Amino acid sequence: MTAMKHDYKGGAVKIGFTGSRRPERGRLGPITGILSFRWIVIAFVLILWFVYYPIIDNFLVSTKNQDIFTGETAFVGLDNYRRLQSDPVVWTAIVNNTLYAVISVIIQVFGAFVLAALIEGLSEERWRRFWRAIYFVPSAISITVTGLLFYFIYQPDIGLLDSALTQIGLADWSRAWLGEEQTAIYAIIAMSQWQGFGYSTLLFAIAIQKIPRELYDAAIMDGAGTWRRLWNITFPLTREMTGLMVIVTIAGAFQVFNEVMVMTGGGPNNSSQVLGTWLYQQGFIENDFGYGAAIASVIFVITLLTGFAQLWYTKRRRIDL
Amino acid sequence: MKANTFLSTTSLGSLVAAAFVISGTSAVAAADPVAADPSAAVEYTGTISVLTKFGLQQLSPFFVDAAKAYEKLHPDVKIELIQESDDSVKGKTKALVASNSLPDIYFTWTGSWGENFVRGNRAVDLTPVIGPQTEWGKTLATAAVSAFQYNGKLYGVPLYLDAKFMGYNKSLFEKAGVSEPKSFDELLSACAALRKSGSTPISFGNKEGWPGVHYAGQLLSYNVPQATLEKDFVPATAEYSDPGYVVSLTQFKQLIDECSDGAGTNGSSYASALQQFSNGKSAMYYQEIIEFDQATADGALKRDDFGFFKLPAPKDAKGDIKAIEGAPEGYMISAASKNIPLAVDFMRFVTSAENGKILSAPPYGQPSATVGGYSAETMNPTVVDGLKVIAASSYLMPWLDTANPPRVAAAWLAGLQALIGGTLTPEEVVERVKVAAASSK
Repeated sequence: MTAMKHDYKGGAVKIGFTGSRRPERGRLGPITGILSFRWIVIAFVLILWFVYYPIIDNFLVSTKNQDIFTGETAFVGLDNYRRLQSDPVVWTAIVNNTLYAVISVIIQVFGAFVLAALIEGLSEERWRRFWRAIYFVPSAISITVTGLLFYFIYQPDIGLLDSALTQIGLADWSRAWLGEEQTAIYAIIAMSQWQGFGYSTLLFAIAIQKIPRELYDAAIMDGAGTWRRLWNITFPLTREMTGLMVIVTIAGAFQVFNEVMVMTGGGPNNSSQVLGTWLYQQGFIENDFGYGAAIASVIFVITLLTGFAQLWYTKRRRIDL
Repeated sequence: MKANTFLSTTSLGSLVAAAFVISGTSAVAAADPVAADPSAAVEYTGTISVLTKFGLQQLSPFFVDAAKAYEKLHPDVKIELIQESDDSVKGKTKALVASNSLPDIYFTWTGSWGENFVRGNRAVDLTPVIGPQTEWGKTLATAAVSAFQYNGKLYGVPLYLDAKFMGYNKSLFEKAGVSEPKSFDELLSACAALRKSGSTPISFGNKEGWPGVHYAGQLLSYNVPQATLEKDFVPATAEYSDPGYVVSLTQFKQLIDECSDGAGTNGSSYASALQQFSNGKSAMYYQEIIEFDQATADGALKRDDFGFFKLPAPKDAKGDIKAIEGAPEGYMISAASKNIPLAVDFMRFVTSAENGKILSAPPYGQPSATVGGYSAETMNPTVVDGLKVIAASSYLMPWLDTANPPRVAAAWLAGLQALIGGTLTPEEVVERVKVAAASSK
């Protein structure tokens, strides 16, 4: 079947796979077919070795207590998973990861969507390019550099943020943003939004550019305003990208590591620990690789479930152009 | 959109990275103990890998130059350096242990940290080559060599001595009309006077957690008897019931609240605090003797303006007021090394009196553990004076975060941050440490 799509000039262009013709196979005989299979085998072995074997092995490691120095290993069954339930830092980490995910979805998905729509709504291409570039610049900076940059911005008293607050008469609000248990994780999340916002905006901008212009023209003729067009045209037709971004953002929020390590190392008093840094702390600082592996399994299950849920939702609501 | 492909990439990806690291840590059972053979001939061929703690820009040339000099002496030898910083060397070492990839020579602290390698038979027993009666042993400070003694055997090569002192800015002290405090109470009074004169009394950054542990360690040595401390370092005998623990932490909290930026210090790094001190913005900074040269390297604080004193002891202290927190730091040789005699030979070269003098003098300023490995003429005079204080001390209190097992160390690190932040009381911190020690048995 041939899919047709209108281009910007109103003409029809052919996209995707056309017709029901299938490539002929087997002309060279079954031996060639079997030989061709070897390429699949190589890929299959690589995937098994580099993706699935570590997952299984990680689970096996999580059922043992292991002293990395002596090599002594003791099978403990699911004890490390039971220990997770009574570890208060694990719950702090899950709350922090969840906060990371919720705030990131609001800002980096829905905020970025609105901004992208506004930018793409500009009439002149040069301004659209300009604003895309402006918002994308922070994403081009490495997360480690960004972390250090914000470490100085958040410095108590001498940092840019506290100085700015003092300048505008809000000196009472100034504080050690990374040094207080109540604010450390929010300071890190804020930095992360600054860094990732432009990238999301760019992806949404690309998705919006693919929407046929005629739909907007027709809506304008029908008297639809800006918000109506955004809600009834742009949002439904970028739903697949939105779903994708939600998956990426949530999965990313549960894998966050560098930002926290650079800015607080999980402190103060473990208040900004996330699952990734707590995993590192258990494995590489406290020599408890079995427990670290159990935390890794939790991260895996959470992101896998998130992925399935979002995939199911996206498939249900898919709109083909 | 290839959502299925994407799903498998993202959702599995989270674990794959972690699982790769964790599953790659299937530690091999420990090998048999290995002892250095003093009669073994050194074959000057091959490669020796060295993991150092001299990753800082100011320190890194020491090993680079030593390696070049050694390679020049022995053209068929190649020295491969892995230079890490104070913080990164911990994670790096454990990753290398877990993957059975320890280099031939690796950095170590004393205490529980070094003991891990001995317990796992991962360090060469150096007693036959570094013992007090051996040729090499006679060239090294005996106390420094003994600090790496486990089960009656010597496992480490001490490179330099280290201890903690309060560095101060003489001009700011003069401006505030205060002199070197002789007691803990005098220190608190000095802080009040300095604050009144417009200076931050003590710059303190505790983002990493261990700077706070250093203060606490010194106060613990004053308030808790040495025998009790050493008993509590071992999980099997740990009790943490001495009242000196709570007393020390109460004093620590008072010191941080009255002399530094209080809870805000958890958000500043140790390096930022050093910068503040060397820029003349604060009057005091609690630092290691190996950092004396860094404090006056290129900031506003000049060498003549720099003074130091040992953290003054509180009145009625029940511990040892002549103790000082510090320990030598050094290197071990991997039991899995394919060329142990060459590794030993390289370390003998590094700890020669000639290299010791280079190490002790600026810009490195690391007081060598080699007898005759420093010369007062080439060294920063304050470092020389600091060494005299160390020599006069009755006990070297080891760093709490390396003397204790990792779980107990983690409890100290997080607990002190909570104490500074006001979310835990001294009693609660000690209780937390006690629980961690119990779970480490």
